Amino acid sequence: MTLEVKNLVKIFNRRKVLNNISFKVENGQTLGVVGFSGSGKSTLLKIISGILDPDGGEVIYPENSDIAMAFQYSALFDFLNVYDNIAFPLVERKDLRGKYSKEQITQIVKEKLKMVGLDGIEEKYPSELSGGMQKRVGFARAIVTNPQIILYDEPTAGLDPVTSTLIEDYIVQLKKDLNASCVVVTHQLSTIKRAVDNVIMLYQGNAVFEGSVDELLMGKNEYARQFVSAAIDGPMNIASK
Amino acid sequence: MFEVRKTLTYYGFLLLLRQIREFLETLGSVGVNFYKVLKYIILFRIKPKELITQSKRFAYDSLPISLSIVGMTSAIIAMQLAPELARQGGADYTGTLSALVMVRELAVVMSGFAIISMVGSSFASEIASMAVTEQIAAMEVLRVDPIEYLIVPRVVAGFLFMPVVFIISTTFGLICAGYVSHWTAELSLLNYITSLWHGLYIRDIFIAMLKSAVFGGTIALISSSCGYSAKGGAKEVGLATTKAVVWSFLAIAVWDFIFASIFYL
Repeated sequence: MTLEVKNLVKIFNRRKVLNNISFKVENGQTLGVVGFSGSGKSTLLKIISGILDPDGGEVIYPENSDIAMAFQYSALFDFLNVYDNIAFPLVERKDLRGKYSKEQITQIVKEKLKMVGLDGIEEKYPSELSGGMQKRVGFARAIVTNPQIILYDEPTAGLDPVTSTLIEDYIVQLKKDLNASCVVVTHQLSTIKRAVDNVIMLYQGNAVFEGSVDELLMGKNEYARQFVSAAIDGPMNIASK
Repeated sequence: MFEVRKTLTYYGFLLLLRQIREFLETLGSVGVNFYKVLKYIILFRIKPKELITQSKRFAYDSLPISLSIVGMTSAIIAMQLAPELARQGGADYTGTLSALVMVRELAVVMSGFAIISMVGSSFASEIASMAVTEQIAAMEVLRVDPIEYLIVPRVVAGFLFMPVVFIISTTFGLICAGYVSHWTAELSLLNYITSLWHGLYIRDIFIAMLKSAVFGGTIALISSSCGYSAKGGAKEVGLATTKAVVWSFLAIAVWDFIFASIFYL
């Protein structure tokens, strides 16, 4: 399942937040999207997932393919318990309604929870879970329909290093298990190193770097070098953002 | 001095333009949501589990406040009306007037206000906090229409159960008015009930029930729409709730005028 983004443009208040962004994510690959806050990374994910419409360009993927998104703050439904959160698309989605029996749904929910290393928390509500657990329940809900394209918005933001490593491992594992095309928006170098194959860097809505993780970390692109070395001085003017 | 006046005028004009824009935006979002809700209702795509949950909130959770407000209003009206009518020799009309005033106008409006403060505000804040925490976006990505899941059951619950709240609270209000008339004007309860029957018309009751159904649906639609269009952070949740309450009050006043013009002009 290939995901292709072609010449994507998004304008907010007459400002181009995304300017001719193009990339391709092959089956079983993960693309990392990096950049400063406000560089258009989350907007890009929202356009791919269909939450926002682009002002130009297109997102191409095979018809009837499922797109899943794991949100930065999990976005679990706080009025539903973990079981109902994960089962939500199976029960409520128009094309899946009535397709699965209650027993099958229970089986799928248990299986997905197991895939993200959680067990026996079906009855708990999101407010009773830690940030890391909420993220993993969010992952389980995202993959419950076995999507072919998975989008992650800042999957390790606000988590301790150990939990971040755990989350990164699940991103890699889920990609393998589902053979999905993944896009990860992140600020964390550890996530890029551990969970990503290729990287695109955005700055003021433009793609200023595209390449492999090694090229990002050791290449000569001055934007990439500034990002990796966390330098204040460089082509990306922090004050201007 | 001239420059200051010019500046104040300029900012006043900008503020006015912003208010007009916000007004039109809210009107537009309510209109669009109404169209979508109507489409789902016509297709009979109403989620039973959600409908039961929202109906309970409308009919049961709001009942104590509705009873209190309508009961107090009826009692106050009887307290002012009964002694005056008794002095003029018209105590027997207390029940008739109470019934006319409460059934035609006050009970439905007062219970509407109670529903706005109790249910409308909670609909708005709940959906607004879902919007700002990306739960609504998550619903869209999961390919479940938030309008169908969140707004349709609330509007249908409002339309179906506001008349129930109206009937119960009006009955309670008229009972309160009877006791207050008895205490303040020494009007016997039997006389009050006999007088009450003269002021109760089936037509009025049906109009009031229809009006309360429209009020209930409108409150739910406006409150949910205001919450649904919230963007940003915690401040927006508060603003959406305030907007929902103000708009619902305004809508009730407009609907009330329309009903009075159609049925009693």
